[in-house]
Amino acid sequence: MKDSCFSISKLLEKYFDQEVTDKERLLIEGHLQDCPACQDALSSMEEIRTLIKVPIEEAVQKEDFPWVWQKIEREIRLQEKLTWWQSLRPWLDLSPLLKKKVWIPAAATIMVLLFITAQIFFKKIPSYSGASVVEYAESETNNIMVYDLEKAKVTIIWLFEGPEEEVIPS
Amino acid sequence: MISRCQQGDQEALKEIFDKYHNKVYRIAYGVVRHREEAFDIVQEVFIKLFRSIKNFKGKSHFYTYLYRMVMNTAIDHARKTGKQFISSLDEEGSFEPSDELEKGPERILLQKELEERVKGAMEKLPAEQRAALLFRDVEGLSYQEMAEAMGCSIGTVMSRLHYGRKRIQELLKDYVELHGQSRSSSNVSKGGNPPKL
Repeated sequence: MKDSCFSISKLLEKYFDQEVTDKERLLIEGHLQDCPACQDALSSMEEIRTLIKVPIEEAVQKEDFPWVWQKIEREIRLQEKLTWWQSLRPWLDLSPLLKKKVWIPAAATIMVLLFITAQIFFKKIPSYSGASVVEYAESETNNIMVYDLEKAKVTIIWLFEGPEEEVIPS
Repeated sequence: MISRCQQGDQEALKEIFDKYHNKVYRIAYGVVRHREEAFDIVQEVFIKLFRSIKNFKGKSHFYTYLYRMVMNTAIDHARKTGKQFISSLDEEGSFEPSDELEKGPERILLQKELEERVKGAMEKLPAEQRAALLFRDVEGLSYQEMAEAMGCSIGTVMSRLHYGRKRIQELLKDYVELHGQSRSSSNVSKGGNPPKL
């Protein structure tokens, strides 16, 4: 190997990969004419390229690809069918909340809200609709009416003084 | 074709598949060196592409974007299966090409052995160096294109190529020396560069 080989060797790989300028190309080609060592280095790179490339090219030529496309197409369709469900899943998934124990205050809040709502909707309003006149007595001086409220277990007695007189217009 | 695919057109994806499946398979097979695994990678890459092509802004060439996806998927695959560090040919005996190469069954056997040695040598390389050699020596990408596809600088590309070749040369020294010397330098400098895309 010559002394000049040291400077050329840096460019040799670029030359092999066709990445040199025209000026560098001329320099290298001039050197290669008189340098068997650099010629061998170049040959080795070419040999390696062939060794890597040929088996791969042969492997590709043996293969048939339509079935691969069919598999890809099937897979994409399958994933698309699941998409709406997959988009819902994060919303339905409560496990991160359960892990963080956020559910304790959340459950307490819900309980309080339910209690307040129940108070509003199910508040007991006294009703006398169930009341019924049990007895009615009439005399010349007094009228007595007895109401019996079954649900409240209360008996109301009304006493009217004197019978009502009808006013007859003259 | 790409913009149609970005809008979710599966027919456009089919066109992309028809155009690029060989290239994708070559890189995948080159990295994992296993037929079924290479097919799995091809499938995974095109499904990923369909999902993520919306993110392709057109700032780089589409094929470098695709190659990057292939390389990442193949390297991940190789790492998952532990292929990167496996070689069945560790410390194997030297290969001795001879006149026997001209003979029928023995020639085939020796050829097979050589292929296995190359495969073993490639598996000993770090995945990035392996991918660099495949991009350059099989796919014929330029340094600039490789830098785009690998997401690194041109200097890193050159370094990966240099160390990759050096290592392969060491591992296949006996074979390369014998065959390299028999070639004429003029023939080498003229040809051998793989076709560009």
